[in-house]
Amino acid sequence: MTQPNSHIAPNETAAQHAAFEARIERGEKIEAGDWMPAEYRRQLIRMISQHAHSEVVGMLPEGEWIASAPTLKRKTILMAKVQDEAGHGQYLYHAAETLGATREGMIDALLTRRAKYSSIFNYPTTSWADVGMIGWLVDGAAIKNQTMLAGASYGPYSRAMVRICSEETFHHKQGKEMIVAYAVGTPAQREMAQDALNRWWWPALMMLGPHDADSPNTGIMSKWGVKLKTNDEVRQEFINEHAPELLEAGLTIPDPDLHQDEQGNWKHGPIDWTEFWAVIKGERGLGAERLATRQAAHDDGAWVREALQAYTDRQRAVAAD
Amino acid sequence: MTQPHPDTQWPRWEIFKQDNEKRPYQGVGSVHAGDPDHALLTARNVFVRRPAAVSLWAVREDDILNATPEEVGTHPEVLDTPGEADTYHVGIKKTHKRSMTFVDLVESVEATGPGDALRQAREQHADALAWLVFPDSAIARTDDDPGTVESWFAPAKEKTYKQQQYYGVIGKHVGELKREGRMPRRATEEPHAGDHKVYDHPHDASPAELKTHEVQKPEVQK
Amino acid sequence: MTAPAMTLSDVQQAALIRKLTALADDEIILAQRGGEWTGHAPILEEDIALANIAQDELGHAGLYLELRRALDGSDADALAFTRSADEFTSARFVELPKGDWAFTMLRQYLYDAYEALWLDAARKSVYEPLAEVANKAFREERFHLQHTALWVERLALGTPESMKRTQDALNALWPYVGQLWQPVEGEGGLIEAGLLPDLNAVKTRWEGLIVPHLTVQCGLILPPGGAEQPGRDTHTEDLAPLLDEMQRVYRAHPDTPYW
Repeated sequence: MTQPNSHIAPNETAAQHAAFEARIERGEKIEAGDWMPAEYRRQLIRMISQHAHSEVVGMLPEGEWIASAPTLKRKTILMAKVQDEAGHGQYLYHAAETLGATREGMIDALLTRRAKYSSIFNYPTTSWADVGMIGWLVDGAAIKNQTMLAGASYGPYSRAMVRICSEETFHHKQGKEMIVAYAVGTPAQREMAQDALNRWWWPALMMLGPHDADSPNTGIMSKWGVKLKTNDEVRQEFINEHAPELLEAGLTIPDPDLHQDEQGNWKHGPIDWTEFWAVIKGERGLGAERLATRQAAHDDGAWVREALQAYTDRQRAVAAD
Repeated sequence: MTQPHPDTQWPRWEIFKQDNEKRPYQGVGSVHAGDPDHALLTARNVFVRRPAAVSLWAVREDDILNATPEEVGTHPEVLDTPGEADTYHVGIKKTHKRSMTFVDLVESVEATGPGDALRQAREQHADALAWLVFPDSAIARTDDDPGTVESWFAPAKEKTYKQQQYYGVIGKHVGELKREGRMPRRATEEPHAGDHKVYDHPHDASPAELKTHEVQKPEVQK
Repeated sequence: MTAPAMTLSDVQQAALIRKLTALADDEIILAQRGGEWTGHAPILEEDIALANIAQDELGHAGLYLELRRALDGSDADALAFTRSADEFTSARFVELPKGDWAFTMLRQYLYDAYEALWLDAARKSVYEPLAEVANKAFREERFHLQHTALWVERLALGTPESMKRTQDALNALWPYVGQLWQPVEGEGGLIEAGLLPDLNAVKTRWEGLIVPHLTVQCGLILPPGGAEQPGRDTHTEDLAPLLDEMQRVYRAHPDTPYW
């Protein structure tokens, strides 16, 4: 366990911390104006903005397929889904803004690599079935995490998560519906679905974070009521729901060691974390491309943001006269 | 996080949404937008991608004052926040339960400024978990004529593909296609865990076949 | 969708099918261009806004093609994903590459104004299924038009750079916009019979709406117009690559019963 005292800043007292922790213990939500430890604020801004950036960068891998969706309906659904991801980024930036972070500052931190985002979005999307598999597995894993965070002690974060969860279920189901259909579809569709599962299964497990023993930030944020379950607990929930459904769909999960234990938990084989860290460090995957794409959108949009601001400033000046 | 840089993401506007005429306006979040009209259009795109709404208000964050009981306790001077006399709208947060909205707008009061409005809100709703006030003059509102309501808010109801219910129960769609004879009967690979086949394929028997089977069974028993 | 409310002659039916297809083609191609912005817009809120517009346009294409299906049993996806550029009847105006934000907003504005006014008139069509569709789609177009009109004004009156970009966009788009008004073969007969709006009347209203907005409100200079417009069988060279990308999954897997 982490030493509790190490989270008390020089200008904070143990009594303040005790009162704060008692509020969380009572199930109260902390609001923006309430007293909170500086470390709570810092960790929340880190988590929430990282989460927001993940939604924003997360638009890219699937967004690439909007142009080539094979029916008008699928194109519409995919647009709505990627649009939701923009919306979720928007809700999350709002939550971080209540803590004093600015949208400008957060975006700058993303583009200058001072802030992270989920490395799952650095994997390439190589076939149309990836859209379905991302919906089923990646969004399925995200929902497990988000459902937990909907109970977080910080009010604005919790509210953003409740709103996101209510929308994210659509993402999960459209993906599942697609893959279940393709798994019994034409030979090419079945192959596509299986290939997508082969590539996304392990990244989906890894996106829920390192094993508990290797997760440095879990301790204090769990005590402060933000991270209510450990990475391994959330991962287990995810596998328990998804493994039987994938098998029911007639697909093969690419893990020869996968089995159910006596308690009925689906246990996965050893995870190759070297790949996870390689993707995070940018040695593998499309991290550089994703950030370059975001940077280009940011740069190309600068004159637009300036123009609207100039228009607004002028209108306000006229109104003030 | 607060270092200066040249980018602008535009001012932030808090958005209050009314789901139907009988419901209060509720704080749903914020948007970044240039001016009042732009804020409202943006709010519609961000917060009414799905039903339901009949009206939106947008208020610049600078025009809003909010406080929790703890804050008033430690910083009582917030009750003296100066500003213009106006009709102020009062929002309160009522519960710690999970929710996607912050405050409900419950009433309006005549106040000499935001601090006074907050003081009145606190007196009338002593057990609230947070109070929020803003002057009536700061509100940008969507028009409430039927044409605007129809054009801004009604179409979301028809975008059923954004609702999870649209996708039904897993496999149901496939079942339907199979009944129509439009789906091959089995996947190429059987599910395995190691060398062990872990699950019999549930789609081997189509629902139609199952039904026939069930009907025939009693006859055989006779 | 209910069966056609009235009996059409063969000539009328063929012309109506052509018109519905042309309407749908414009929507599909414009939505394809709009979709290219998803993930790349100037600010998150506008990613959401443009995805909203593109979804609505695709929805309208679906409505028009459903009307066509009721007439000839054709499949909307087969039409969208197997026809070549030669067979599409979209206007060059919607085919042009997405350009910058000024180009995108100005094109969408001119198109929204055209579509909203055409739909407004089509609500009075004696062909009830079309009147029904027009009522539905008109509501959404009214909202789009508010959004894009607002943007054009702000860009035209923003910074010197945004003013220049907006004027450049107008200069680039203006020679193409007239093709939207090109009738399909047999459209005149349908107008006479009250099935379709009178294009000239709609165009007059359109000009009455957009010209003052662009010039008086936004201070833009209207380029000389009046260039002779080709029919809807004339396309830009941008259409074929757009369709290659749009149709590649569908075409790579022919005879797939369900996507």
